[in-house]
Amino acid sequence: MKIYITDGSLESFYTAVFRAYREKDCIITSCADRQLSFDSVTENIAADGEMAGRVRAKLDRTDRYAAGDIDLALRSCSPLKEQTAFEYIRLLVQKNRPVRDMLSLPAVIEMTELIRKVTGEVHKMKGFLRFMETASGAMYAPYSPDNDITDLLAPHFKARMGSQKFAIHDIKRKKAALCDGHGWFMAQVGEAEVYLSEYEKAFECLWKRYYRSVNIKERPHEKQMKGYMPVRYWKFLPEKDGHDPRQ
Amino acid sequence: MLDATTLEILTESAKYDVSCSSSGSKRVNRKGGLGNASVGGICHSFTPDGRCISLLKILMSNECAYDCEYCPNRRSSGVRRARITPDEICSLTVNFYKRNYIEGLFLSSAVFDTPNRTMELLTETVIRLRKVYNFNGYIHLKGIPHADEALVMKAARHVDRMSYNIELPSERSLKLLAPQKTKDSLILPMKKLQSALIYDRENKVKRGRILPAGQTTQMIVGASPESDGHILRLSEYLYRNIGLKRVYYSSYIPVVKSGLLPAEPAGLLREHRLYQADWLLRFYGFDVDELCGEGENLDADYDPKCAWALKNMQLFPVEINRAPLEMLLRVPGIGAKGAYRIISARKFSPLNFDDLAKMRIVLKRAKHFITCRGKFYGCEGNAARAALLLDEKSNFCGDEEDRQLSLFSSPSAALGALTGEL
Repeated sequence: MKIYITDGSLESFYTAVFRAYREKDCIITSCADRQLSFDSVTENIAADGEMAGRVRAKLDRTDRYAAGDIDLALRSCSPLKEQTAFEYIRLLVQKNRPVRDMLSLPAVIEMTELIRKVTGEVHKMKGFLRFMETASGAMYAPYSPDNDITDLLAPHFKARMGSQKFAIHDIKRKKAALCDGHGWFMAQVGEAEVYLSEYEKAFECLWKRYYRSVNIKERPHEKQMKGYMPVRYWKFLPEKDGHDPRQ
Repeated sequence: MLDATTLEILTESAKYDVSCSSSGSKRVNRKGGLGNASVGGICHSFTPDGRCISLLKILMSNECAYDCEYCPNRRSSGVRRARITPDEICSLTVNFYKRNYIEGLFLSSAVFDTPNRTMELLTETVIRLRKVYNFNGYIHLKGIPHADEALVMKAARHVDRMSYNIELPSERSLKLLAPQKTKDSLILPMKKLQSALIYDRENKVKRGRILPAGQTTQMIVGASPESDGHILRLSEYLYRNIGLKRVYYSSYIPVVKSGLLPAEPAGLLREHRLYQADWLLRFYGFDVDELCGEGENLDADYDPKCAWALKNMQLFPVEINRAPLEMLLRVPGIGAKGAYRIISARKFSPLNFDDLAKMRIVLKRAKHFITCRGKFYGCEGNAARAALLLDEKSNFCGDEEDRQLSLFSSPSAALGALTGEL
């Protein structure tokens, strides 16, 4: 079996699709460390503008929203994301029309599921992201999402923060959305040194106090709380004392 | 800066208000301003009672002139009292908002001095927040009964949503437990606001539109003797005749000791059933007469849709590949999303049972009411009833306390009757 290994970029993925399309038994993945079976052959795929362009063009002719869907799906943390997207493209080409609503086909079900998880996390993070005020007056929000969503999140905060400077920092992927009060851009950021403003602790304490007081003790429902607000996100929530109980 | 004890007192006084949603408004940020509203609403945290925190829910003051029997802030109660200024509220809101703790402000107040004085200060606060602090996030303002209409209208131009709490589902109970409030002091302002809102909508008013997210209300369930049927009829009237966005139900918790009030809490199951029926009224095309008779309560053993279906078995099973949307929505276990998924998937190929399972349509209940390409996989008659009852039991009882269990009027007995064990 042939295994095509991409470098994780969209263009490399489309190049791999171009190369793999005619083959019956092959896999596209970005995880180089996956377990290989004894008869598998691997090949690293470097991005090739022409090949990727031809796949994109075909895709756009078939369904003009498909490229957007694939962009979303490839942000997922699932190790099968490239393969799922590949199978979705195969189905698109085979049917030669949008397949989004063919909800009983496995390729569509898996694709929908990937996209749902990514957009779902974007929505959750709109709520669970926490900013802190730095000494210089800029707002800084560290977080560690399951999927690669920082650039999807930034426009939401840009719209509401107005001329406020802010940074959204994905600790795990070492990248950040930086906003200077006018526009925003993505940058590689490893570790950030942050000096908090003198009021920051006080507001954090008020918030924790608020969180404690608004709870109705007579009606405990921890299971529901954890269902809506998974514990893996607690690490960055001051009201949960920045503590993930599993650790 | 506001001191923590004041915040604690005013939060604890506000927390029994159920409503916390931040949806329905798409207010945009203005130049140099802070915040906007997200039309679907955003939850920012969840408390250990399972409720979401979306807005900073706080009273301006809990020094109340009224003496409503059920209310922990009533005049004769011994709670700690506090009051905060409009500026303190604005600054706290803006600072919480900047840190993305909240989606906006839910401002309410006890009636201090007079209703007009209270409403005046509330109005001043929201206008200050909008104009001086240039805040464009979500604001939900509580209406004060008996306050001057002009004041209420002025406030309504600056907030996203307003609510007058009906509290008790009948005039008689109001008179008994909240003598200072009357039905008219609650319903009339709702109607006035709604007609102003409709005027703005029809004339396509762009700036300063009144209440873009509409109105809501809240009722306490189980503090007074009204039946579910009565409560749901009131809700249906509020939705269809006054045009409310939401009615919230809050199951009664005895925080206050009183001879006029029951000593036992009403339990979460009753509240849960009311919400289920409420959803059926709003999104599933049901009328209240189909769900519950005037003086009756909802069935504790089955969810309201399932109870309706069991009473109308002549309509089932429906064929999944042909049934119209209205009928799919009435199949127990199939929700709105599931029904829409079925409608779009079946355009391309007929669906069988496995397809539905793959599409994540939950079939545990639905299978007794549907056929797929003519095939039926459920049970019929009493066997179906028994299976549904077992399912409902495992659904709801898992994490409920013993007190709640008793509400099922001993499910094993009911089950025994169905399976003929008695």
